Amino acid sequence: MNAIAIVFKKELTEILRDRRTLIAIGLAALATPTVLYVISQVSTKTASQTYTIGYSGDVPAGLDILFNATGMKLERVVDPAVAAKQQVDIGLAFSSAGIDEYYDPTRQSAQVADVRVQTVLSNYAAAKVAAALQQKGIDPSVLNPLPVTQHPLSSPTKAASNSFLSFFLPYILITMSLTGGLSAALDSSAGERERKTLESLLLTPAPRSQVLIGKILAVTLISLTAAIAAIVSMLVALSQIQFGERAGDVFHVTLTPLATVVMVWLAILLAAAFASLTIALGTLARNFRQGQAYATPLYFITIFPASIILFIPDFNPNLGYFVIPILNAVLVLRDAIVHDSVSWSALAVTSASLIVTGALCFYAALRLFTREALLVRS
Amino acid sequence: MSQPAVKVDRLEKSLQTNKVLRGISFQANAGEIFGLLGPNGAGKTTTLRVICTLLTPDAGSVEVLGYDTRTAPQEVRRRVGVVTAEIGIYPRLTARENIAYFAELSGVMDGQLNRKVDAVIERLDMAAFAQQRAESLSSGQKQKVAIARAIVHDPPVLMFDEPTSNLDVLASREIRGFMVESKERGKCVIFSTHVLHDAERLCDRVTIIHQGRVVASGSTAQVRGSYKDLEDSFLALVEAAG
Repeated sequence: MNAIAIVFKKELTEILRDRRTLIAIGLAALATPTVLYVISQVSTKTASQTYTIGYSGDVPAGLDILFNATGMKLERVVDPAVAAKQQVDIGLAFSSAGIDEYYDPTRQSAQVADVRVQTVLSNYAAAKVAAALQQKGIDPSVLNPLPVTQHPLSSPTKAASNSFLSFFLPYILITMSLTGGLSAALDSSAGERERKTLESLLLTPAPRSQVLIGKILAVTLISLTAAIAAIVSMLVALSQIQFGERAGDVFHVTLTPLATVVMVWLAILLAAAFASLTIALGTLARNFRQGQAYATPLYFITIFPASIILFIPDFNPNLGYFVIPILNAVLVLRDAIVHDSVSWSALAVTSASLIVTGALCFYAALRLFTREALLVRS
Repeated sequence: MSQPAVKVDRLEKSLQTNKVLRGISFQANAGEIFGLLGPNGAGKTTTLRVICTLLTPDAGSVEVLGYDTRTAPQEVRRRVGVVTAEIGIYPRLTARENIAYFAELSGVMDGQLNRKVDAVIERLDMAAFAQQRAESLSSGQKQKVAIARAIVHDPPVLMFDEPTSNLDVLASREIRGFMVESKERGKCVIFSTHVLHDAERLCDRVTIIHQGRVVASGSTAQVRGSYKDLEDSFLALVEAAG
């Protein structure tokens, strides 16, 4: 067996006996479905929840029936403006001049109630106008000289869920590629110094580059396992959740074969690059805790690129942007998930960028791993 | 005259801005225990680290069985085993796995691995705890694992750097016994210590270094000279050297 295989086997044995790493992978597999379950429960509750309208004056005939049909409960109050602050979700004062609406935009329930009230009132007004026109023998369609028939090219519900997935999946993938193997990386680098095993290791005739590669491969495998475990558990959880309410628009979230292949490929590149980077940082540190302090800023670089997709969903950059590590993976994954397509040139630039990043991190780790100061400082 | 096992010639080494070694020279031979003595900070550990290729000399040279540490570091590492006071072993591996790991990295072939590991476990009387995880071992047992790890590839040169400083009386005695046994097997044993009582009992020849320079060198009896023991001689030499 060569030194790479010897070190890989030993590191893997140690990692699998380390509770910290096992807990991290276990949490990765459990946390995502739990978060999704909570989100789906909250969403379902928001959609089916009944909201209360505090009103004064006389409710126009038929409007109360519409309110009840859309989950709005009417409750007579003395002052709708006062009641809308806390007692009810929205306040309506009916008078002969019209309707005064009172709601507090800082309350989410008031915002949802407002949307529903606006929709109901709009439909009510349209129905009243149509009835009046018909009574006078006028075709109500005169009010709509250019009728628009929408033909969405894909399910709007599915598009919304893909949009959510295009943010969430890259975020989980990148976060787990970093954190899944972080403990193992620090243990195999800073931990060697802390346990005083580094000197003995460097005393063996095994080439140091091979020792380092063995460590990086072991950490990469653990990171990859954590990332894949998190995503598989997320997809399993999503497959149990039904999206859409209307017939024909009901579906379960699945990942296409193309998106799956792209995701696994990027996960391998990201895990290898992060393994090299975190081992390099760990080699700088004197102990595990110091290594954690050095690695903390890395968490931010996992959040920012995914956030771009959240805030600018239609961000379509030129090829140059795909040189930026992490961001490139997020963009390629977004296209694979949302559009089920991949720009091969973008994927090639992304792959080259991540491989070069990993190689630079490996070079830095090797330089740090072989410098004399490493032993002198310890 | 046969080739010295370790030949250190006008060795100089600085660590950051501190000049630690200022022209150290000595030779250690197979079949002897060679004492490298000196107060804390004299440069003993730095000298050993240069010999085993962890540090590179600034000037001068070091040869181990004819291999220069600069030009053939891997050949040197194959021929050296080092035991230090800091017993660093992998806590989540068993004692046996710790030894086997270093044996493999030192080039022990798959076909010989089990036989060599078993032999060293038997030689150091470790069978009772060989399958236990290292984190559950006592200091003495851990030190045995550290020794086993250093000798499992059967190196002709063994270096002990303050090996007994963290051990109790019984464990220290076992280490001393092991050094004598290794000498009798024809190994070159370099023993770095500031415990002069141990050095006087064990060493055939000694070199005393102080502030990076050799202040005395020769057989233990020669260095002791007319003084009552090696400690008195050592104190006189160090005081004279300033």
